[in-house]
Amino acid sequence: MQPLIEMKDASKEYRGVPAVTKVNFVLQKGEIHALLGENGAGKSTLTKMMCGVTQPTSGEMLLNGAPVNFQTPAQALDHGVVMVFQETSLVPSMTVAQNLYLGDESLFNRIRGLNIAAQTFLQSLNFNVNPTALVSSLGAAHKQMVEIARAVRKNVQVIIFDEPTASLTPEEKRHFFALVERLKRNGVSIIFISHALEEALAIADRITVLRDGELVASDLAKNFDRDKIIRAMVGRSLSSSLYRHEAGQEPRAVGEKVLSVQNVSMGTIVRNTSFSIYGGQITGMFGLIGSGRTEVAKIISGVAKRNFFNGGEIHLRDRPVRYRVPRQAVKDGIVYVTEDRKIEGFFETMTIPENLYMGALAAGLTGSVVVSMAQMREIAAEWTKTLNIKAINANARVIELSGGNQQKVVIAKSLAQKPKVIVFDEPTRGVDVGAISEIHQFINRLADEGLAVVVISSYLPEIMNLSDRILVCRSGRVVEEFSPAEATEEKIMYAAVH
Amino acid sequence: MIGVLKRAWDNFRGSGEAAVTVPPMDGALRPNRLLEEAPVVATAEAPDDLADGGRGVVFSSGSRLCRLTPEGGETIADLGSGITAIAGEPGGRLAAALASGSIVVMDGAGARTSIASLGDGPARCVTALAFASDGGLLVAQGSAKRAHTEWKRDLMERRSDGTLWRMAADGANQTRLAAGLGWPLGIVETQDGRLVVAESWRHRLVSIAGGGRPEPVLADLPGYPARIRRDPAGGYWLALFAPRNQIIEFVQREPAFLARMIEEIDEAYWVAPSLKPSSTFLEPLQGGAQKHLGILKPWAPTRSYGLVVRLDAAFRPVASWHSRADGTRHGVFSCLPDGDRLLAASKGGDVIVEIRPGFMTTSGAT
Repeated sequence: MQPLIEMKDASKEYRGVPAVTKVNFVLQKGEIHALLGENGAGKSTLTKMMCGVTQPTSGEMLLNGAPVNFQTPAQALDHGVVMVFQETSLVPSMTVAQNLYLGDESLFNRIRGLNIAAQTFLQSLNFNVNPTALVSSLGAAHKQMVEIARAVRKNVQVIIFDEPTASLTPEEKRHFFALVERLKRNGVSIIFISHALEEALAIADRITVLRDGELVASDLAKNFDRDKIIRAMVGRSLSSSLYRHEAGQEPRAVGEKVLSVQNVSMGTIVRNTSFSIYGGQITGMFGLIGSGRTEVAKIISGVAKRNFFNGGEIHLRDRPVRYRVPRQAVKDGIVYVTEDRKIEGFFETMTIPENLYMGALAAGLTGSVVVSMAQMREIAAEWTKTLNIKAINANARVIELSGGNQQKVVIAKSLAQKPKVIVFDEPTRGVDVGAISEIHQFINRLADEGLAVVVISSYLPEIMNLSDRILVCRSGRVVEEFSPAEATEEKIMYAAVH
Repeated sequence: MIGVLKRAWDNFRGSGEAAVTVPPMDGALRPNRLLEEAPVVATAEAPDDLADGGRGVVFSSGSRLCRLTPEGGETIADLGSGITAIAGEPGGRLAAALASGSIVVMDGAGARTSIASLGDGPARCVTALAFASDGGLLVAQGSAKRAHTEWKRDLMERRSDGTLWRMAADGANQTRLAAGLGWPLGIVETQDGRLVVAESWRHRLVSIAGGGRPEPVLADLPGYPARIRRDPAGGYWLALFAPRNQIIEFVQREPAFLARMIEEIDEAYWVAPSLKPSSTFLEPLQGGAQKHLGILKPWAPTRSYGLVVRLDAAFRPVASWHSRADGTRHGVFSCLPDGDRLLAASKGGDVIVEIRPGFMTTSGAT
């Protein structure tokens, strides 16, 4: 059968460093093809070559048997190839409807008509997004939905999804998979980059695994299992036990109460919520999107403000605190590691050392009003080694790093601030299994060293694997607490939904 | 001046001192049903305090002093007035404070000494007693103005004129160790000789050292702390007799409403902590809106609760035993380690129960 897309010996180098080396990749018509690999394995580079974002250094691409060389994404789109990016490329100052129809506008546009068309289209995809909302006001999951909807609307023959489900709730994921199946039935081919191996095994027809820029395995999905994929991805076996109590690990003992959140409210998003955070423990916070878990973390760390009147109290070691800006929280040792690294986590055009130095600067730890290049290099060298950040060179810009290494930079930037309380919001979103394991080990080490650690995650196995106690949020408040031994996915999900 | 402005600002904004907030029961204080399900060792009318008098465990019930026996309890003395606190020491001496305004000290042979005054006035609001390691007596007076029975009024008015005294066992050489305490309800002497007092109305434990200001060792408790005991095996045991509640703390900050409530409504129906679970529809908000099909939910807002907390040597909570809104073992004022068990007296539930701490995990889970 004539392949729809065929990459022949495709290679790509950045500044002489190979990102993809002689990859032969085949996509059949009407096929869901999962592309797996660790961060930095070359998945994004390979797919970016297919959709014209970047061009191969050598090798060629065939589309329906004819050689093509897309210079821009627009050219690829003209040929029916489109990519939905992991980090969204929406215009934040425009509404959802305007973003959906961006580039297809008439000379005169009736806004109401646009909104109605957008609403109808979003509903047909089962995406619950308000078409009149500004994109800047949307959370990561809703942005991802708009991005997917925009690609689907183009009536293309190939859609490349880069981590499409990373920020979706379980229910939204089910809708997404139904959509993918529908597209497949309509003859659309799907390339699906994901770090969620179970998802790939569940919906893909074929799986291809890349490692260090090379194709190491490609076969029908039915011939793979989780262990086989992991071995192909990382070249080694990882601990397969997702749950610490199953692995015989006891939760850490209750330490000093470091932070007490009492009846905190913020509009209708956070409603009279109370909980405590203890030192030397990992407190896991689970909740569906919109449950207020991120917002309460932002209130704690001074990023967002609670209600002016009767907004509740936050006590840091029995001292009431109320931060106007994050800097005050950082100085008190409270650090928030954002879920949206591209927007809030780093300065993407600055280098790794500059970003890490910014962290230390914000905490007032640099000790000088003049930027010290030697100190900057020292901080960068320390954290690059500690967190195993992989980059082309020591002065690489953060935008040039893979998602996992970008996440490590965000974490390192926060840890350079020498926190006492650290809140990780979705610490492994868009991160491959190898890096997930490294980040988890590091988070455990922080708790062992006595830090009060909070991990917010939508991924239940992560919460259950890491946490010494599990808090469940629903409708703006903490509604339930579980110990790891008694927690099950069903119990947690029940508390989060009902 | 700055303090006045800050108070005015806090009142306007509902922050700081004027914040109506309550710390959560989580972590080591995570609710369970272990106190509710604990075996009963004795039933008695409103058992209040427990003490080890050298010849077994003694408890107070109304005006009676009783000894705990395998069959329940036997009366060893009727002191003729409500007993507000007791203390014992291994040598056999017992001390009991009476609502009538005196402290009675009994030696092992049964001889009694009465201490009629505390400082310049009668000892009519003694809330806690303890024998010091040097054989002296430590006495906490809840209020300089209110009687022991007026504890609800004292709490709602947010008074803090309690005092702590040290004296010889015959009442001589009285020394005031601290003043301005918010209803001190428990005293314990630590291994290193410090005195730690449960300051109930301020929801904290404070260390009293040499005339200085009381230093909090455990603050912002989610309930009203009562008696505290040292565990021979290390650490401490703390009883909390009622939970804190946002509506109660709100009423405390509304003087006009409070004054009318005190004046016009029977004390049993005040918006104030209670020692017993709800028994009549006249009670305010006890289990309000959380009673479905006749079943009271354990997480319902409640004014009464049963809670015993295990503290480590640094006074950090490590485990807890609860009787929740749907339970009956409420109003626990006292607990006492006795061998490998812990006894807890539930004044609201009219029982003394035993807890086997060995069955408890440190996370608070059952």
